Amino acid sequence: MAASPSPTPTPANVLEVRDIHTDIGQFHILDGVSVDVPEGSITVLLGRNGAGKTTTLKSIIGLTPPRSGAVALRGREIQGEPAYRIAARGIGYVPEHRAIFRALSVEENLRIAERKPGDLSRRGDFIFGIFPDLKRLIKLPGGNLSGGQQQMLAVARALVPENGLLLIDEPSEGLAPVIIEQMMEAIRQLSAHTTVLLVEQNFIMASQLADRYTIIETGRSVKSGRMADLVKDEETITRYLGAA
Amino acid sequence: MTALWKNNRGLLIITAIVVVLMAGLLQSLEPKVWMSIMLSGATLAALYFLVASGLSLIFGLMDVLNFAHGVLFVLGAYVGLSTFMNPRLLFNTLPFFFVLVAAITVAQHFGRIFWRRIGTERGRRVATAALLLLAAAVLFLALRGFPIRALNAFNITAVGGAVTTAEAQEPMATMLRRVTMVLLAGLPIGLLLAPKQTKDELPLRPVWQTLLIAGVAVVIGYALLLVRDPGETFMLAMSTDVRFVLAIILGTVAGALAGVGIETALIRPFYGNPVTQLVLTLGLSIAGIDLIEAIWGEEGNPPMSPPSLFAANCRSDSLLGWFSEHCQSIDVLGRAFPTYRLFIIVVGILVFIAVGVLLRRTRIGMIIRAGVQDSEMVQALGINVRRVFTFVFALGSALAAMGGVIAAPYLGVFPAMGGIFQLQAFIAVVIGGMGSYVGAAVGTIILGLARAFGDHFVAAGINVPFLDTVIKGSPAIARASTVLIMAIVLLVKPAGIFGKKE
Ligand SMILES: Nc1ncnc2c1ncn2[C@@H]1O[C@H](COP(=O)(O)OP(=O)(O)O)[C@@H](O)[C@H]1O
Ligand SMILES: [Mg+2]
Repeated sequence: MAASPSPTPTPANVLEVRDIHTDIGQFHILDGVSVDVPEGSITVLLGRNGAGKTTTLKSIIGLTPPRSGAVALRGREIQGEPAYRIAARGIGYVPEHRAIFRALSVEENLRIAERKPGDLSRRGDFIFGIFPDLKRLIKLPGGNLSGGQQQMLAVARALVPENGLLLIDEPSEGLAPVIIEQMMEAIRQLSAHTTVLLVEQNFIMASQLADRYTIIETGRSVKSGRMADLVKDEETITRYLGAA
Repeated sequence: MTALWKNNRGLLIITAIVVVLMAGLLQSLEPKVWMSIMLSGATLAALYFLVASGLSLIFGLMDVLNFAHGVLFVLGAYVGLSTFMNPRLLFNTLPFFFVLVAAITVAQHFGRIFWRRIGTERGRRVATAALLLLAAAVLFLALRGFPIRALNAFNITAVGGAVTTAEAQEPMATMLRRVTMVLLAGLPIGLLLAPKQTKDELPLRPVWQTLLIAGVAVVIGYALLLVRDPGETFMLAMSTDVRFVLAIILGTVAGALAGVGIETALIRPFYGNPVTQLVLTLGLSIAGIDLIEAIWGEEGNPPMSPPSLFAANCRSDSLLGWFSEHCQSIDVLGRAFPTYRLFIIVVGILVFIAVGVLLRRTRIGMIIRAGVQDSEMVQALGINVRRVFTFVFALGSALAAMGGVIAAPYLGVFPAMGGIFQLQAFIAVVIGGMGSYVGAAVGTIILGLARAFGDHFVAAGINVPFLDTVIKGSPAIARASTVLIMAIVLLVKPAGIFGKKE
């Protein structure tokens, strides 16, 4: 890649994924994915179902470690480290299907994410400022929450330790429109404090939230750029994302 | 109505079973008979629970069906028995384990340097084979002719015993040579267990920790050997109560250590490969019993005499009376019931509460409950869940071993008891719901009671109402009843009473 001189210095990338290839069992799932996530941005991964967006996030956090390629967090390569160590470097992961712990109370779901004792009390005001409903539900088992509440809890859990980067996988999936609105507002609020790499199939939501995008198609990243440019680019949208 | 049934199916099933039991009482049993059957069932349940709780937690958290769990039960029983009746055996065998652990710890720590020197995959394979041979040869030479049977002459209650100590033990010089050779054999074993690929980035213990662990282990190992004669005299002079407590502690610790060993060597390298894990634990369940038979013999031992707290030849009227008299039995509604069995029930209840508090009130318990549902997500929160796996494996193993120790004065100790208890524990866990802690408790209670009532009715027969006949069963029916209960529960609720469907 030839470096083109740019008039303004680009902000440093919190995360750089460089040409990762990931296998699950004997299947080659990712076959060359590169993503840049600039500091302070919301970057969205787009692409059809089964394209490899979730696997990209899992490869970053180390749940499906890439076979080759590099994942650099603030310039430091972290690929191949065990997932718990990568996460402890300051990455919060919100998996798809709202993987909260159903048997744990809301409070325990938050407390288990503490990396230092007292994280929750230190950050409680910030978290409950974004998700006021959770405060009311604090003693309930996670399994008793509605789908929207569970999704809020999953995001809130990632906010308990001070994470410099959040990986959020399809936060709007299966939620009612009103709840999606709330979720968007929440992500907007928390993105003032932390960098976000988002996977979102809902193009309207993605286009309103994200600064940058990377499109993944059958395990490859095929196009990246500024969201503002993509919304005008009908051809790319229909080609890679279907009728949006 | 359907919602009520759905949400409380577990409780409703239990209630139904209790109602049936009550009906049984009203129909044909005197209250005192009924009570003593209930207590017998509770005794069995407590022992089943100690095995089943660990099985269930290990399965729930790690998806590992540990077929070696019964071995841990027997191991605990024998270590307890030896501590209680034959300390001589301990003083002459424990040193081997301590020096072995020391050598393995050191060699495993520095083994990474060794493997890094050997660049090629082929070289590593050759080295692995050579180290295996070396370890086996040194171990063989170290232990050849070790007089395990003489050491094992049981039922000594005073110094000397069936075979006098002096005759049973080898001279100190010989033992020192053997222990030192076992220490040397540990080095290649440690190398074999060290991470072979440089890429493996296992968190390394600080050097001082490794040296401290190894140093303490070596010192304890040799010290136990050097004090073996005064040590034996001292232990046999203790009150049986103190010695019994010591037996419980040593048996439990042995179980925990064995659990850590099993998890490290057989389970951890094969996560994501459940069939391999299954076959390995299955293999160990056979090899482990063989090893136990090699040390303690195949014959088994009659129930060891309970400690003096439960041994006085009398019958107490009440618990208060027992506190001062220490009678071997207590009056329950006019029938005698052994106090030692009440002790077993109490231990079962205390363990149930203690582990429950651990699960509910501590951070590690919270991690375990979360990991039962989704251990990947726990990792992704920055928690080293593998360490928690090892802890749970050790805990489950310790509980099973403790069960073995406290079963010894009640059922005796024999190699086959592991298989029996493991099977019952499996059934209990399936009934209660795989991975559910409360389920394991409920499952074991159901099994214990079913077994006790089954045995009673087999012996006494059943009065069929409205007909003047008594149906007598065979013991096989009592045994089959537990499987029958399992089948019925699974028909109603395939995941078990407290099981969550996948
Ligand atoms: N555990 C797995 N085993 C086999 N194939 C998998 C597994 N997980 C995901 N895949 C496959 O990998 C591809 C990418 O999946 P995923 O990353 O979940 O896609 P996305 O999140 O973009 O919908 C899909 O074709 C999916 O079928
Ligand atoms: Mg996905």
